[in-house]
Amino acid sequence: MTNANTPIIQIRNVYKFFGQLTALNDVCLDIQPGEKVVVIGPSGSGKSTMLRSINRLETVDKGSIIVDGKDVNDPANDINAIRQELGMVFQSFNLFPHRTVIGNLTMAPTRLKKVPKDEAEATALSLLKKVGISDKAHVYPSNLSGGQKQRVAIARALAMQPKIMLFDEPTSALDPEMIGEVLDVMVNLAREGMTMVCVTHEMGFAREVADRIVFMDQGQILEVGTPDHFFTNPEHPRLQKFLEQIL
Amino acid sequence: MTVEKKEIRIAVTDGMLIPSSKDKSFVSAWMISLCIAVGSILFLCITKPKPYYEILKFLPDGILITFEVTIASIIVTIPIGLITGLGRLSKNKTINLIASTYVEIIRGIPLLVQLFFIYFALGEFVQLPDLTAAIIAMSVCYGAYMGEVFRAGIDAIDKGQTEAARSLGFNPRQTMFLVVLPQAWRTILPPVGNEFIALLKDSSLVSILAVSELLRRGREYASVTFEYFEAYLMVALIYLCITLLMSKAVSIMEARLNYYDER
Ligand SMILES: Nc1ncnc2c1ncn2[C@@H]1O[C@H](COP(=O)(O)OP(=O)(O)OP(=O)(O)O)[C@@H](O)[C@H]1O
Ligand SMILES: [Mg+2]
Repeated sequence: MTNANTPIIQIRNVYKFFGQLTALNDVCLDIQPGEKVVVIGPSGSGKSTMLRSINRLETVDKGSIIVDGKDVNDPANDINAIRQELGMVFQSFNLFPHRTVIGNLTMAPTRLKKVPKDEAEATALSLLKKVGISDKAHVYPSNLSGGQKQRVAIARALAMQPKIMLFDEPTSALDPEMIGEVLDVMVNLAREGMTMVCVTHEMGFAREVADRIVFMDQGQILEVGTPDHFFTNPEHPRLQKFLEQIL
Repeated sequence: MTVEKKEIRIAVTDGMLIPSSKDKSFVSAWMISLCIAVGSILFLCITKPKPYYEILKFLPDGILITFEVTIASIIVTIPIGLITGLGRLSKNKTINLIASTYVEIIRGIPLLVQLFFIYFALGEFVQLPDLTAAIIAMSVCYGAYMGEVFRAGIDAIDKGQTEAARSLGFNPRQTMFLVVLPQAWRTILPPVGNEFIALLKDSSLVSILAVSELLRRGREYASVTFEYFEAYLMVALIYLCITLLMSKAVSIMEARLNYYDER
């Protein structure tokens, strides 16, 4: 159904209101399969809202969002099936504290995809190896450091073999010394060709990994471009100001 | 060494003081109360077997009925409470309103009045054994209280847990049963245990409805021998023993549910 020229995510003229506040203001963005898009912007600019609209954690008020050919807001489409294609990683990890690490990874595949338990566990172990914490498979999340928690959260999302990964400031809640280990995992994932949409303030990561960077402010996308473009000649004055502040 | 830890506790209005599972000291209010209760029963039965030992032998049938009413009511109450709690959290306006109205009405009427009302209202339509009618009446009432406990317990779970589950593709029902409720249990259990104990105590009210539970047994004994003080003293001491043991059981269960905490 998808080929290289059909976007895997199409965000078309999307508006989202919270009461009087316009959180998303006519947002349009197409993302190609395999593309890595980094979203930046000041606090409250609507980055999370846009990301969360993609898997309908927020329902938009106007416009449409098509993921892999399916409109996420069309009641005829099974949103739970669409979400299985979209891995999501949160700032606050949101691991399930009542399940061990491996339990966190196998819960969705065994329940939702009817993967046999031993098969799901084997996959889980190889994913944990990939994110570098296979020795922690049988502990509860409360015994992990922040960086380890976030790597487990990434592995948990990957266990469903999603086509797209959404990251909402995955390193913002981490102590500085743990940011690197999480970014490494994300860089590796990018190298493997995963389609990724990342909200992040890690400009080094953006420069290294992003195919395109999106700058949002006050609910609008003000500028889209390659990292080169962003860091050498940003056009919009507000982007220039934003970059001055964070670089 | 004590590490400061945020603990979600749901305020309760009735029941018992559940002893903290972390409190390892031997001398506690719980221990003293239990010693007083058990000691008094033993002392009275040994020093004055007549009437106290006679009373003690007369009461077990009533204790059994008390347990029967309590356990049956709890079993019926938990699903009612769960449904009411979920209803109170529902975004569906109608469901929410129905659940809230139920809670509001029940909370506004004294339990004894409700028992009379439900008991006799039921009697208008169906001929039920007294015991069954009493259990239904207790359940309808305690379902509302339990609903509040469930609501608070479910509400206390971080919204991020629901979002994580939903974004993996779980539907709302799976999210509730696999992610939210297993965690909510920990906050819900102490107040549920508390309601359980409160229910056991309130089951003494159904003595009014011709159900021969512990209190009524005591009265039946006294009405023959006129030893009212002695009979009610034994009844009180036995209630105290039971509720103390139950509160300990709840505290042990609570400690076991903390298995995934940081160590
Ligand atoms: N559930 C909500 N109810 C009301 N207002 C909301 C809600 N969620 C977000 N907002 C508001 O919408 C705007 C956009 O929020 P959003 O979280 O998308 O910003 P953000 O760019 O992710 O910011 P940050 O960098 O702080 O995470 C903000 O002004 C925020 O206060
Ligand atoms: Mg945000």
